[in-house]
Amino acid sequence: MSRNLEGRARRAGRAAAQQPLEKQRIRYELPVYDMLSPESVERLHHASMRILSEFGIAFYDAESRDILKSHGARVDGDIVFFDPEMVTACVAKAPSVFTQLARNPENNIPVGGNAVNFAPVYGPPYVLDADQGRREAKLEDFINFVKLAYLSPYMHHSGGTVVEPADEPVETRHLDMVYSHIKYSDKPFMGSVTSAENAADTVRMAEILFGAEAIRENPAVISLINVSSPRRFDDRMLGAMKVYARARQGMVITPFILSGAMAPVSIAGTLAQQNAEALAGIAFAQMIEPGTPVVYGSFLTNIDLQSGAPVFGSPESQMGLYASAQLARHYGLPFRGGGMFTSSKIPDAQAAYESVMVMLPAIMARTNFVLHAAGWLENGLASGYEKFVLDCEILGMLHTWSKGLDLSDEALAMQSIAEVAPGGHHLGTEHTMRHFRTAFYRAEMFDYNSAEVWTEAGSEDSFARANKRVKKLLASYEAPALDEARDEALRDFMARRKAESPKAS
Amino acid sequence: MSENNDLTQIETSELLVIIHEDLYDGLADEVVQSVNELLRRGMSPYETLTQGLVAGMDVVGVDFRDGILFVPEVLMAAKAMKAGMAVLRPLLAETGAPSIGTMVIGTVKGDIHDIGKNLVTMMMEGAGFKVHDIGINNDADKFIAAIREHKPEVLGMSALLTTTMPYMKTVIQALEREGLRKEVIVLVGGAPVNAPFAEAVGADAYCRDASVAVTTAKARLEERRNAVPV
Repeated sequence: MSRNLEGRARRAGRAAAQQPLEKQRIRYELPVYDMLSPESVERLHHASMRILSEFGIAFYDAESRDILKSHGARVDGDIVFFDPEMVTACVAKAPSVFTQLARNPENNIPVGGNAVNFAPVYGPPYVLDADQGRREAKLEDFINFVKLAYLSPYMHHSGGTVVEPADEPVETRHLDMVYSHIKYSDKPFMGSVTSAENAADTVRMAEILFGAEAIRENPAVISLINVSSPRRFDDRMLGAMKVYARARQGMVITPFILSGAMAPVSIAGTLAQQNAEALAGIAFAQMIEPGTPVVYGSFLTNIDLQSGAPVFGSPESQMGLYASAQLARHYGLPFRGGGMFTSSKIPDAQAAYESVMVMLPAIMARTNFVLHAAGWLENGLASGYEKFVLDCEILGMLHTWSKGLDLSDEALAMQSIAEVAPGGHHLGTEHTMRHFRTAFYRAEMFDYNSAEVWTEAGSEDSFARANKRVKKLLASYEAPALDEARDEALRDFMARRKAESPKAS
Repeated sequence: MSENNDLTQIETSELLVIIHEDLYDGLADEVVQSVNELLRRGMSPYETLTQGLVAGMDVVGVDFRDGILFVPEVLMAAKAMKAGMAVLRPLLAETGAPSIGTMVIGTVKGDIHDIGKNLVTMMMEGAGFKVHDIGINNDADKFIAAIREHKPEVLGMSALLTTTMPYMKTVIQALEREGLRKEVIVLVGGAPVNAPFAEAVGADAYCRDASVAVTTAKARLEERRNAVPV
């Protein structure tokens, strides 16, 4: 190779370094923030056990109550009363760590231990972007958010209902959602929980994609089972739970609690109730299928008692998050909590502050599964395109931060310090030359220019920069290859299920 | 360079490209070798400077502006440029070739914050300027003595503290008193400095960063050379 060609190769190498970042995993290597003393954990545990044994939990499904009864629970009408020893024995059967499959095996995720996983916003019926404002979400938006999650190196999961696609019939939209996750991403995804039938469709599609045996060994979907707090599991959730547990698929059992409305106005009382509800669901899942993978979920914040509106990022919700994670660890269960929550309607200062005020505790509590890690706006009513990419920037920073401090000889850089005289600079040392490209996290969404350069470039705020970024990302998207035979089998299955739908014409 | 060290076998046009590449990669020894080879072939020091070194640094400047190169890489390129200039400078003087320019630079009295000033020095050297860095905490007398000694076309002053910024005006007033103000293009910079301030203290321009210092110095020098018949 001539000198010249070598130079060109080096230069091409530099240009390649500008390419999108490789997807990354988080292993949280820092100390976990245990807010509560062991005695405090015990006190909450006993309060929860009292709720389970004395006050009971409503299960609005006869078969579920029969299952609970056959395992020793006392049933009175809809209300189920649990013996504390029976609950803890059942909970102990749940794995503390499991692996969720992705169609690209490199994207399989460990759930539990010190692994942290980020998943997109879940559930909003609206979308918002700078160009068209707030509007009803469509399947096209759903697919766009799947693509954005696929393209982010800091998003480990494709999520579930990234938006609620209102242009598809209610009876069959779960098929389109599951298929879109499979088709447009190769990251793991979540299943439908809107009915037992829809859950069964999800399991069938996962079987087509992965094979029926493979998904019994490791779950191919993880699905969001909400407790309709206070102290109530409804028939749709129980229907989905039974299907997923019998198929050994993953579930996040999450009491949905706004303190002051669905739980007491104190965080301690809220935690006791949340813990009782989560443990009841987890014990029930283990009764159906011992060892079925479950996550201890928490969606805990408070209402504004002056107006009744939900509040995010409140100091009380942060304490609730730390304590919830600690309780999950106490029972040896993977934990779900946190998210980039906000009440703001647009990605403004309120959105940024509130989101970060939840995400920092979520990370320091070593949350294993962070749903709503990007895109959340307006109390979860809107998925924000720009908010999504801005949130991903913070997720990138958290990846770096979670690794902890490198104290190797190379990182101590004594040679570099020796090399530079007092008052000199480190911009040209050998150590700098070895590390400068990757030494510091570089945010693409934040502006580091001087006021003059920023003004000349159009005085853009982060909303405007993120808008450009969204367009650039979606334009750059290329679908990950999907095996044609499986794709066809999935499409055949969907077509058949749509034809069977009562609303099909 | 480990292989193919026989520069004599390479076409001149190709050798110029090699200089550009080696500058880009901050390879000082290789740049010096190629400069010497071009001179051996009879290329004039001035052509070697402009077609080899300056043209190469232009690419570095563009890629820095576009976010492809990082600051440490630009500094390495500037160091390589400086090494090449060390070969050319005495020859340029001998042949009476037009010099790119001379600069005196320092932080003003009361201010020892000099990272920015050091960056400007390196970038100016990278662009081929002869820079006399008089260091930190300079009073007006020191600036004047350096100007008398080095006869620069450009004077650079920097400050980080809002409390020391006003001293730039003191220096400029001293230059006027000594009849030196018209001799130099006065550029000012530093984090709290801005264009209105530069105008208020009677400087010629405010430079917001090191690469702007280079382009501003070049542009003002060219204006001046065109305006004043020699």
